Amino acid sequence: MKNTEFKPKKHKKVRWWIPVICIVIFFMYIWPFYELIIMSIKDITDISSSKMWLSQGAHWENYLAVIKKSDIWIGFKNSIIYTGATIFLEITFASMAGYSLSRGSKKTTRTVRAVQMALLMVPGIITLVGTYSLMVNLGLTNSLLALAFLTAAGGIPGCSFIYMNFINSIPRQLDEAARIDGAGLFTTFFRVILPQLTPLTVTRAIMIGIGAWNNYLLPLYLLNDSRKRTIILVIRSAFSINGGDRDIAMACATCTIGILPVIVVYLLLQKKIIASQIGSSVKG
Amino acid sequence: MQKKLDRKYFLFMLPAILMVVGLRFFPIGNAFRMAFFNWNGYSPNMKFIGFDNFKKALSDEYFWIALRNTLIYAFGITIVKNVLGLALAFFVDQKFHGRAAIRATIYLPVMISGFIMGQIMYYFYQYDGGILNEILSWFNIEPVYWMKTGLSSTFVVLLTTSFLHCGSTMLLYLAGLQNIPHELLESARLDGASSWKEKLHITIPLLQPSMITSVVLNLIASFKIYDIISSLSKGGPDGGSTSLTLYISQQYFNYNKAGYAAGIAMWFFFVIIIISVPINKWLSSKKVEY
Repeated sequence: MKNTEFKPKKHKKVRWWIPVICIVIFFMYIWPFYELIIMSIKDITDISSSKMWLSQGAHWENYLAVIKKSDIWIGFKNSIIYTGATIFLEITFASMAGYSLSRGSKKTTRTVRAVQMALLMVPGIITLVGTYSLMVNLGLTNSLLALAFLTAAGGIPGCSFIYMNFINSIPRQLDEAARIDGAGLFTTFFRVILPQLTPLTVTRAIMIGIGAWNNYLLPLYLLNDSRKRTIILVIRSAFSINGGDRDIAMACATCTIGILPVIVVYLLLQKKIIASQIGSSVKG
Repeated sequence: MQKKLDRKYFLFMLPAILMVVGLRFFPIGNAFRMAFFNWNGYSPNMKFIGFDNFKKALSDEYFWIALRNTLIYAFGITIVKNVLGLALAFFVDQKFHGRAAIRATIYLPVMISGFIMGQIMYYFYQYDGGILNEILSWFNIEPVYWMKTGLSSTFVVLLTTSFLHCGSTMLLYLAGLQNIPHELLESARLDGASSWKEKLHITIPLLQPSMITSVVLNLIASFKIYDIISSLSKGGPDGGSTSLTLYISQQYFNYNKAGYAAGIAMWFFFVIIIISVPINKWLSSKKVEY
């Protein structure tokens, strides 16, 4: 007879390939960023030397030159306004909608879910094609706020669904208790319900913020004024302005500074971001 | 009382409804209307031309190239991202030191604008002085013209995007792996299943819900590919790697053919629907039971 005694597998076996794969993965994914930095500290007249490493000294003064130009600061300012407005609009309206979806009748919930799924399939280019001429006529191109409304509207269906899922787990008694105390719906929601969801709101805000910060298609066509450019558009013009290879170093320095905020936010909050990505896909 | 409350709840939802109707539904309707006109996008005279824009697209060689590429992107990226994402999820699901760091590293490019990642990756594939060709030169291999033809550029974009963005798919599968009841794997192990067999016959079938979500979401997202192409291959050479989004924006903004652009956009929307809806339905009809 076979021995059926339970013996947990020992995990002591030396798995030499794990660190090897780790190192390979690490270098492959860091490589593009390494190249960006190497290219950004080359001499601006040096266009032919190897991109893999520095052949001469590091020219950190490229960064100084970028910081001294106003472009990058205009880009940061606009990106912050646009990103902040998008986060505010999307979170406020989506959480409100999520609340009424959760507390209202279930029939609407099903309709809204179908609508959300359908809207997911609409490519962003249709939004652009369908709104561009109107935005021009209404004088809303070059308006960061109008762009924020447009961006937030794209995220509202999905975001309100996530809020609905979370609010479902908050007992209705809490609403009723607040109502007995004389609070209206508005106060009940913003003072009692929404504060319960702060962790969700924080992670949603981060994800919406990063999405808006990186948004490219809509800002590219809706913000033509160089004073209204977001940081991504500033980086884009740094890469294309002189054409050819002439100012790669400057463009790369602009690019490095431009993505720094996202990288810092990511490094600080990566645990939260990754956990929320895993969590939201389970709730799905 | 309840009725009054329902109306209040409706008012609460109103801003969201207005925004979605005004800024999502309305543009679709407006783009649909524009598709029936010969219009440059700004002049006051629009000429009604019926279905001509739709017909014109069908005889436009570049429309077919863009459509073909968009389908290659959508299915190719979905497949490669899922294979890579699943493999990486299995890898980082093991217990070892530094796995959180590896997870975070793989996910990092997802956080950065696709336009910027494409711009950086462009310097890898450059013919003259590109990084990959420089590495080849160490081994005395002739430089490769990575983006010589439309199709080769398309595959460069496809593989680059999949590689850079498979972190999101990895997290989806990781969530799925953490949801599988532990007893199931334990009992398989007791029955003597090897680690590979266990993965192939037990874990992967149990991951079906994650797989469905991942395939549907990636398919829909990859149809819309734009950012990374616009810097990596710029749709070139000669429109050979362009996607529909890129082609539509060029028709509208570079050639001032707003009506035609809207017509292509409607074809685009139609293609997404006839492909995504059946796949979504078919996949959702399959349910796993633990």
